[in-house]
Amino acid sequence: MKNTIVFVLVLLCYGLGFAQIKRTGVVKDAATGEPLIGVTITLTGTTYGTMTDIDGGFVIEAEDGQILELSYIGYTTQQLKIGTQTNFAVNMLETSSGLDEVVITALGIKKEKQALGYAVQDLSGKALEKVKESNAVSSLTGKVAGLNIKNSSDLFQNPEISLRGASPLIVIDGIPDRTADIWRVNSDDIENISVLKGATASALYGSVGRSGAIMITTKKGKEGKLTVSFNNSTMFQTSFLRKPERQTVYGNGNQGVYAYIDGTGGGTEGGGWIWGPRLDQKDPSTASGYFETPQYNSEIDPATGKLIPLPFISRGKNNVENFFRTGVIQANNVAVDWGNDKASYRVSISNQYQKGIVPNTDLNNTSFSIGGQLTPTDKLRISANYTYNKQFTDNFPEVGYGPTNYLYNLLLWTGTDVDIRDLKNYWMPGKEGVQQRHYNISYYNNPYFQAFEYMRGYDKNNSFGNYNLEYEFYDGISFKSTGGINYYGLNRTYKEPKSYIGYGDKSRGNYTVMNENFFDITTDFGIKVNKELTDLLQLSGEVAYSRYRRNWNKLTSATDGLNIPGFYNLDNNAGPSIISSNREEKEGINSFYGFVDLSYDSTYYLSLTARNDKVSTLPKGNNSFFYPSIASSVVISNLVRMPQWIDFAKVRGSWARVSEGRIGENPYSHIQGYEKGITWDGVPSAYFGNSLLSSDLKPETSDTWEVGAYVRFFKNRLGIDLTYYQTNDFNNLIYMPVSSATGYENTLVNGDRFKRKGFELVLDFTPVRNEVWEWVSTVNMSKYNKYLTELSNDRTQTDKYIKEGERTDGIYISQYQTDGQGNIVFENGYPVVDPYSRFIGYEDPDWTFGWTNTINYKDFSLSFTLDGRIGGVMFSQTNQKMWWGGVDPGTVNQYRDDANEGKATYIASGVKVVSGELRYDSNGNIVFDNRVFAPNDVPVNYNSYMQTTSNNSEKNYHYYKQDFIKLRDIALTYQLKPSVLSRTPFSSLSVSLIGSNLWMASKIKNVDPDSGKDALQTPTMKSIGFNINAKF
Amino acid sequence: MKKIVFNLSCLFIILLSGCESIDTLQDDPNRVASVTPDLLLTDIEIEAVKNIGTGAGLASRQLTNTDGVSNEQYYNWQRSSFDNYHKLKQVQKMEEEADRYEEEVYKSLAKFFYSYYIVETTLVFGDVPYSEALKIGEGIQKPKYDTQKDIFLRVLEDLAQANELLAESDGVIKGDVIYRGDKLKWRKLINSYTLKVLMDLSNKVGDSDLKIKERFQTLISNPAQYPVFENLEDSAFLEFVDSKGNQYPYFNNNALQTAYYMEESFVDKLVLLKDTRLFRFAAMKNKREDEELTNFKNYGGLKGSNSMNENSQKAVDGEASRVNARYYTDPVNEPGVLLSYWSLQFNLAEAAERGWISGSAETYYNQGIESSFKFLKVDMPADYLSQDVVKLNATDNLERIMTQKHIASFMNSGWQSFYDNRRTGFPKFNVDGSGILNQGRIPKRWMYPAAETVNNNKNLSDAVNRQFEGGDTINSVMWLLKP
Repeated sequence: MKNTIVFVLVLLCYGLGFAQIKRTGVVKDAATGEPLIGVTITLTGTTYGTMTDIDGGFVIEAEDGQILELSYIGYTTQQLKIGTQTNFAVNMLETSSGLDEVVITALGIKKEKQALGYAVQDLSGKALEKVKESNAVSSLTGKVAGLNIKNSSDLFQNPEISLRGASPLIVIDGIPDRTADIWRVNSDDIENISVLKGATASALYGSVGRSGAIMITTKKGKEGKLTVSFNNSTMFQTSFLRKPERQTVYGNGNQGVYAYIDGTGGGTEGGGWIWGPRLDQKDPSTASGYFETPQYNSEIDPATGKLIPLPFISRGKNNVENFFRTGVIQANNVAVDWGNDKASYRVSISNQYQKGIVPNTDLNNTSFSIGGQLTPTDKLRISANYTYNKQFTDNFPEVGYGPTNYLYNLLLWTGTDVDIRDLKNYWMPGKEGVQQRHYNISYYNNPYFQAFEYMRGYDKNNSFGNYNLEYEFYDGISFKSTGGINYYGLNRTYKEPKSYIGYGDKSRGNYTVMNENFFDITTDFGIKVNKELTDLLQLSGEVAYSRYRRNWNKLTSATDGLNIPGFYNLDNNAGPSIISSNREEKEGINSFYGFVDLSYDSTYYLSLTARNDKVSTLPKGNNSFFYPSIASSVVISNLVRMPQWIDFAKVRGSWARVSEGRIGENPYSHIQGYEKGITWDGVPSAYFGNSLLSSDLKPETSDTWEVGAYVRFFKNRLGIDLTYYQTNDFNNLIYMPVSSATGYENTLVNGDRFKRKGFELVLDFTPVRNEVWEWVSTVNMSKYNKYLTELSNDRTQTDKYIKEGERTDGIYISQYQTDGQGNIVFENGYPVVDPYSRFIGYEDPDWTFGWTNTINYKDFSLSFTLDGRIGGVMFSQTNQKMWWGGVDPGTVNQYRDDANEGKATYIASGVKVVSGELRYDSNGNIVFDNRVFAPNDVPVNYNSYMQTTSNNSEKNYHYYKQDFIKLRDIALTYQLKPSVLSRTPFSSLSVSLIGSNLWMASKIKNVDPDSGKDALQTPTMKSIGFNINAKF
Repeated sequence: MKKIVFNLSCLFIILLSGCESIDTLQDDPNRVASVTPDLLLTDIEIEAVKNIGTGAGLASRQLTNTDGVSNEQYYNWQRSSFDNYHKLKQVQKMEEEADRYEEEVYKSLAKFFYSYYIVETTLVFGDVPYSEALKIGEGIQKPKYDTQKDIFLRVLEDLAQANELLAESDGVIKGDVIYRGDKLKWRKLINSYTLKVLMDLSNKVGDSDLKIKERFQTLISNPAQYPVFENLEDSAFLEFVDSKGNQYPYFNNNALQTAYYMEESFVDKLVLLKDTRLFRFAAMKNKREDEELTNFKNYGGLKGSNSMNENSQKAVDGEASRVNARYYTDPVNEPGVLLSYWSLQFNLAEAAERGWISGSAETYYNQGIESSFKFLKVDMPADYLSQDVVKLNATDNLERIMTQKHIASFMNSGWQSFYDNRRTGFPKFNVDGSGILNQGRIPKRWMYPAAETVNNNKNLSDAVNRQFEGGDTINSVMWLLKP
């Protein structure tokens, strides 16, 4: 290795000596001799390129020995090795199909796009180069039809990834990553991401590929001279895209009263509510001229021993801005590439550093990877990759609603009478290390105390690699073997200081250590055939055996209180014993699989796959299962004479059956056993869980069929790819609810049937293309729904109140009684709760869309992505709690002032019952109703009303539409000309201005609906910055 | 070449697990398929004593809440749950494991806990599944509902058997965090509990199958065969421990220290009786006369049925007492109570008052009061029992007994006071405030769990239709309450 590096460095120095020479040329259609306009010409190994002008001519600066790549849609891509000549005449061949695009499919097999019988969409690693999301997968947002990525605004939190409504497999260089760690592949190391959308596409991966796959192919060394590339993206999170907007008119307290006593929250401290007195009230009787009351930062009058009142003014209007800092995302990558016709390799070092907007939080993500391939003879090909990745931070924020959430303490439950900057001294004087200082020390945490004292450490060491070997031992017949390992060791620590507040818990200080170890290995070997049977008929196929093993263990140990505050060590345990638990898992799958691909005359394609898995995660006897798939496509445009404006047309269809043998995350879900209970004063206990397992569990199975068409129009200026699919899920392993009186909540059985169906559209078009301008645009749209088609065991509805034939994403919640005309029924001024859950809306969006654009002008390039979702509702905890707690700006009104004076003046709109009654049957249907109504006329105290109802009656129970559109990323790039670069060591250099999350429009207020749920997440930030990409 | 490659692949496999076969990966290293019955007993006991709840305090006019319009406080609650069946299942498992390990003694305890949990359940709803419950192993996924009467008949039978079996048993009880294996104390508990069940059925005194009076008399007149609690130490208590998960359930609780206040009528009653237990229950209000803990004028409460606005206003004005800080600052505070000596004494006093037994109501009554003071570690004032407002006077004895039982049950004994009110009309709970809901009615029960409408609809409908004319509502009157 050492020698290699020295060698690389020597080569590097040598490489700098080359000179840039201007080359010119003309590109013509080989058949017609017509000049071709707009042919893309790039220097391989660089990002530099140009395009042919109206006469087919081009000028490019290149060194001797460099390779020019000419590409043009509808024509076969050509490479030209530059000798010493300076003038070129190139003839390009029109491809028969109009398409020679190659995509990577299951097991890393490259296939022509026209051969595919199913939907695959791919994305070049180039698209990930400039604007950096926190992880590579998030960069796919809006770029693939059917792939819905719901991004979290919290630091180091996984986005929710769903492909056609289910969670896809992530595959790195052909090896499935069951840890689904999307953080461990650096985006600069990615050559290509290919999304296999349906089960047919990924059926060869077996049960794990049941829901499609995201295939990440990393960069390998390329043939050509030694290249050192450097990529830097630096982005600053300077302002908020979306944060909750609050009222700054009323302060802490309850019923318009606030006086600090001791911070415990009771009495005149108002129980932690923000329903206190008006701020900035003039009061001529005080020294300040404002209403004064004792506050947490009041001094004690030495004479009386009482707190000296302070003016109650709105000092904390900018608490959120003042607390959060400018976040930074910086990604650096240095890679060295070299190759010749026998060997090539690549070494890459990456670091992504993220400085959180919460003070004292960050994330480091460093990778070292090496990969290469050898072709010592024409018959043997070996490639391998290895990556070491380390993700570490001393502290990253806790998320989710509660006192451990920053916004909770900063905005939701702190009135603006508190200026957050005054809380930087976060220890109570004289009680340093023991008691935090805050205006309320029972319910809330001082955000600075939280950031600097409650430390959540994370240190994960990933190590993964793979090899791929093929040896052609007989003409067209090869032996092949692939294998890969994934390993990680994770060490997490939680340092919880004394007086830290959790829900209903005031910490006595605690230290928790958690260790996890994961190792898995996949090994495949088999025989591969690749033969031209006749001139027209081609066959390729494979049979293989595959073996998978996984080991995982976890050990957690925690103190039961700390003796010495701030000393985080298990030995410092204050309780009778360390609280410790461990867990071990082992899992295995043995499989046989094979496939046959046939193509005839580059027009008819047929692909058959079959696989048998034997899994350890189902009962013996039912743990071996077989599944096949078939896919076919026909290039219509080769068969039928098409109108001139249609360049290419293809139809495709496929069917697959895939089973899954795993029941949730736990590989032992099919085994019944006792759970460990609490240990009471040293006496252990056990209990039996609430699920009863059926003794005869079969694997759950999905049948999927899909049809699609791909058509290109107008000299390739427009392309449409349409897909419709339907999946029937049966033998589903469901926790079927049973009457609780059986002693169980549910039984695990095979039952119920679901149908998933959806529609995907990919539209690419080139509105403008000439010698100076080019605008390329892609629109992705998709729609997906899941239906319950059959309920087993004589049930009429599921535990979520879904009936047969209905969508499964219907949400039923507790609502108020109405009079049948939509008016809410009130008793004593308060709404009456309906004892039966009622429908509020559907969760899944109607449409998910994305629109990507690239506009090239001379040496400039502008690219951007807009994406969003239409339809679907979500519960907003933030909005609900803002109304509940008294910080929503809507609570600033006369009723509130009245309530603060002790007057009940608020009359909610609705009716009251004058006489009669309402009866339900046991299904919640109304069977008797002779109620007589009158308008609600009972005034209530506004503060009390909101504390009880959160304004549910006016705000649709805080279920909001998810609709939004977001400017996901934007990059303006300037590529320096080789003529400029010739006097520098660079072979290629570009600089970009980049931004992400710069604009959004949504129906919901205060929160970013991107994540699809609202648990009071961190405000979404706008990021702007720059990118430098250089090659030597 | 081929051979080399093959060896290479095998090398990788061996690296992992020595070519472990799929079948050997089928055992769960994290759980066991069978346990000794004592492990289950511990769990069952802990669950049984988890009956300390503020909800009962609100509904029984001991506490008030100012954080929102509370369903318990304003009497408009809706459903309760069938969680007790999960606990019954643990009892069933204990029985199974007792069979497997041939530890018969746990089977007699199982009989007690079956009875305990099903009584707790039927008191909430009315008819509930019992004879077909816990029989999913026999294929019953939708158990029918048994009538309350049938349930109580079986309970009385099982409790009698439990006492008998335990008397004969020479087995050793392990895993017992309540009595540490003392079988005589278990028998005392079982018989004392039987008396409680009989008293819960007081409205059914005329029922010729139940023979409440006769059963009560039999138990009382034969202490050798039916030992009952003889002192406070015999009570079924679970001491809390200062280690994680073993602490007093309201230790560290924020709501208890900020949103809960003492109820006004409860405080007034304690003040009227010059009852010094008040100082142990409550904290002084903010607006107070002086700093004397024992000055009754330093205590106050919020009226349960008053509107939330009035109560919140009064609370922020410092006119109401919070609960004593020990409930949320002391990790062990006081033991959890499954059944207490004082409640036995109050039941005996009531039985004497009703003429079911011949003893002196006053003796039982006084012993009940004394043991409550003792439990709370409060010295009973010497003249407490002789006060006119305390001592039994033959005019309102039942109310006085219930009042003392109510006071003694503060933050213990679950919903007993509420059930006593439902059964006897005492203690009285105010409903005349302006915030009251449910049209001023005190509910009689809880609606069945919503999941039953989905998972056991037919049996639920049958049970509702045969019991309640107005359907499954909180105001419907169950069999037990009908004379």
